[in-house]
Amino acid sequence: MKFKYITLSMAIVAGAFTFSSCSNDDPDTPTVDPVAPAGLYIINEGNFQASNSSLSFYDPTDGTVANNLFRTANDMSLGDLAYSMTIHDDLGWVVVNNSGVVFAIDLETNKEKGRITNLTSPRFMHFISDTKAYITQLYDNRIAIVNPSTYSITGYIDVPGMDASSGSTEMMVQVGKYVYVNCWSYQNSIIRIDTETDRVDGSLTVNIQPKSMVLDRDNNIWALTDGGYYGSPYGHEAPHLMKIDTRNMTVALNLEMSLNDYTPILAINGAGDQLYWICNDVYTMPITSTSLPTEPIIDSEGHYYYGMTVSPDDSNIYIADAVDYVQTGKIHRYDAQGNFVSSFSVGINPRGFCWRK
Amino acid sequence: MASRLKILGITLAATLAAVAADPMSVTLPGITVAARRPADIGRVESRLDSAALRESVALSLSDVLGFNSSIFLKNYGRATTSTANFRGTSPSHTQVSWNGMRISSPMLGSTDFSLIPSYFVDKVSILHGSSSLSDTGGGLGGLVKLTSDAASTMIHDGLSARYVQGIGSWKTFDEYFQIGYAKGQWRASARVSYSSSENDFPFTNTDKKENIYDDNHNIVSSYHPRQRNRSGAFKDFHAMLSASYDARRLGRWSIDAWYLSSNRELPILTTDYTDNRFTENRQREETLRAVATWSRPASRSRLTAKGGYAHSWQAYDYRRDLAPGVVSVMNRSRSHVNTAFGSVAWAWYPATAWLFNADTDVHYNHVTSLDYASSIPGGPPTGYDRGRVEASVAVSGKWRPSSRLGLGALVREEVYGSKVSAPIPAIFADYTIVPSIGLVAKASASRNYRFPTLNDLYTVPGGNADLKPERGFTYDLSLSSEFSYNDRLEFSASAGWYDSRIDDWIHWLPSPRGFYVPSNVKRVHAYGIESQVGASIKFATTWQARLSASYTWSASINDGEPMSEDDNSVGKQLPYIPRHSFSAIASVMWRGWSLAYKIQAYSERFTMSSNERVLGSTLPAYSVSNLSLDKSFSLWRLQWHAKAAVNNLFDTTYRTVLSRPMPGINFELFLSLEI
Repeated sequence: MKFKYITLSMAIVAGAFTFSSCSNDDPDTPTVDPVAPAGLYIINEGNFQASNSSLSFYDPTDGTVANNLFRTANDMSLGDLAYSMTIHDDLGWVVVNNSGVVFAIDLETNKEKGRITNLTSPRFMHFISDTKAYITQLYDNRIAIVNPSTYSITGYIDVPGMDASSGSTEMMVQVGKYVYVNCWSYQNSIIRIDTETDRVDGSLTVNIQPKSMVLDRDNNIWALTDGGYYGSPYGHEAPHLMKIDTRNMTVALNLEMSLNDYTPILAINGAGDQLYWICNDVYTMPITSTSLPTEPIIDSEGHYYYGMTVSPDDSNIYIADAVDYVQTGKIHRYDAQGNFVSSFSVGINPRGFCWRK
Repeated sequence: MASRLKILGITLAATLAAVAADPMSVTLPGITVAARRPADIGRVESRLDSAALRESVALSLSDVLGFNSSIFLKNYGRATTSTANFRGTSPSHTQVSWNGMRISSPMLGSTDFSLIPSYFVDKVSILHGSSSLSDTGGGLGGLVKLTSDAASTMIHDGLSARYVQGIGSWKTFDEYFQIGYAKGQWRASARVSYSSSENDFPFTNTDKKENIYDDNHNIVSSYHPRQRNRSGAFKDFHAMLSASYDARRLGRWSIDAWYLSSNRELPILTTDYTDNRFTENRQREETLRAVATWSRPASRSRLTAKGGYAHSWQAYDYRRDLAPGVVSVMNRSRSHVNTAFGSVAWAWYPATAWLFNADTDVHYNHVTSLDYASSIPGGPPTGYDRGRVEASVAVSGKWRPSSRLGLGALVREEVYGSKVSAPIPAIFADYTIVPSIGLVAKASASRNYRFPTLNDLYTVPGGNADLKPERGFTYDLSLSSEFSYNDRLEFSASAGWYDSRIDDWIHWLPSPRGFYVPSNVKRVHAYGIESQVGASIKFATTWQARLSASYTWSASINDGEPMSEDDNSVGKQLPYIPRHSFSAIASVMWRGWSLAYKIQAYSERFTMSSNERVLGSTLPAYSVSNLSLDKSFSLWRLQWHAKAAVNNLFDTTYRTVLSRPMPGINFELFLSLEI
């Protein structure tokens, strides 16, 4: 289990609440940072059991960055292992994995508007409507159904064939009335949920541990597996990039990488026609391609790339660099051709991204 | 009696004893100064006296070291894991032995000092840096040497017994009972203790806010809640049997066996938003250790042999009830650690000024560490099952060519599995500058190695079988003075400089696979100043006052190559290592009464490798004070002892680890009786 991996080093690696290295603010005088109407939120995971997650915001138009938004605005910690963020209307929903909470924040002030608590180990949140959203979880074979307007859990979607202890549901994409979910840790499937019945009505077996997933312009799903790890009882294989036809829930294309390749994230551009992924370095290919590229678009040059996103506007590539995992991380910005644009400092272990349009 | 720390090796009591026994002692008019034995040449050693160890039945060795030594203890809360950062190194760089057998975890390399009750240890010797090589290798920070024996528990010849009961805040109860028998060449004792607590101390949670909502779910107000430490209860049981027989010419025989059973909940984080009524987070341990010792002194030599065995069962459970009948098990780890130990040591004194030592020890560690949760339903657990022989051989010679000068040299060789260290040399010297006040200058230098632990090598996932041993070079320079005057004043003081460079420092970092992997990534330069002062004065006829204090300035700097051009950690203090540490104990005694004040203080600690000082990224400096009042008296032919203690007297809010609160002001009462 991923938690277990982290537990092994909890006495060795620790961290702290973070703040921008660009900022010279007096730490004793919290101020609310201005947030541009459009830009990029960066979710900084922090260190396991150090409760030093944080939230940053980057304005691509002028290159300014504001860090530690949540703590500054709310005078409290964001929690332990902030993992993802979703924007719905004027609220941002920050999922904090090891705190078992989702915070709703006002995007203008970053102040908390409410919270959904008592989740097992939340990972991602996906809105079905103003009054219904799904929250995937680790160590749980249920996807939580919540009412965002009342910040309450209203029910659960049981995932068939999944044990609670090794339960893992991860990212969500929606095509029509169906939500597709990749089941990651110790799993090898992509399930389909009928949002009208809130029940799983389809499942597709894929390769070991599909870690991330995107939807292309043709409503096909692309999933990137991580292949497990050496010694895993669930198996260990090379990661795969898979194209899934959502019309008939079949694997339309399956591209194998090399054993021990590191594949944490798959992303897609705004047009939905160009894939980007980290496989040690950063690679890209059009969705029409049937073979993997041989050369990376960006060489990692020894950096530890932890996460990635692609701008829906200009296809600029933003890569999260954790540096040594115990100091402020860096975001490296490249243009669509892989040319370096700029870097900026954020919080500890930046991993997740969320675009505000 | 108040406790105190001696930095340079000899407690005042021991000094006075040595004066009586050692022909090298010198008595000047009014002033008594102990001459120095060859064994102590260049040795930087601190000893905790019995008063410190017997101060309270509720204390663990973690508590005692915190107030009586220069070691920084990192606590994850009250009665939770407590590890040592000695001279700016990591917990695995401090070796810990009990009656000669290493008890540092072969899995982690570190020792949890919160699981060692101070009442079960009769002597504590702290060997700093190079000085640890006289006993063991691998102590890049040093060695904490624990001794338990039957003789130390004897109150008098014949049958004796002691019972102590304590009660404290948050339903904390401590019970201790010992019984001993001494007659002729025999000594035997048994001691048991049981400690339990709800440990639900209150604290203000500044990491959280409690919201007040209106009818439309709008937040109208919020505040930092006053809440209790949840899931922090513990129950610890210890039992120890000790026996010894002095067979005169056939040597002295002894055996000591120590059993511990611990059942502790692990407190939840300050940022946990789950309902802990449905969560179990628990750590259990059952450990049995036994060491048999035979020692035969002759006129000019001493031969000592030891054999020991330890078995430890450790369990960690983290589970949550999702719904009636549905349980999510996130961690169910079970570890079995078996250690067999043997050692032989020979000391030869061909002349008063010469001492030669040769010793060897062998530890065989076998670890089975499995996690049944990191598996597929019905599948095998993940983990490893490995054994390793760890052997060490050392020879040394020490020479005191004059009463003022001492010189020594040592070479140690270590074998870990199939790996053999390069020879580990150490040299020692001291010189008495002013004999009348015992002013001595000491110097030592050594290399050292620490081999990777079994977890470093074999943990699944993450173990790295290609790790190299950590390599260290250390030198020490110090001055010390100790003397007594007319039996009314006892004084000691010391100050020393240490400097260590450690290459191939093993550091766990996230790997490309998403889990943590250890690698030899750092070079650390640890250096600083250790100082201590102690004094005891008797005045009038019934008054006595004592003071001891220690101060450490510790720099522990990442001196390696940056991991990338964005790495700002090079040249910075390692996380969680305080630059300044201070502790002091002051006490006054009068006719069976004793009033003691203790304080420990630490400077700000960084939690980021880049030492950034921004919102919430550092742990603020703090000081914690304790106050206690004791009274000893006789009643019904029994010796009674009553004590009241106030811990964290000024209700200081502090943390030694992020997101882990420590208790505020709390109270304890103790009553003991002896026959």
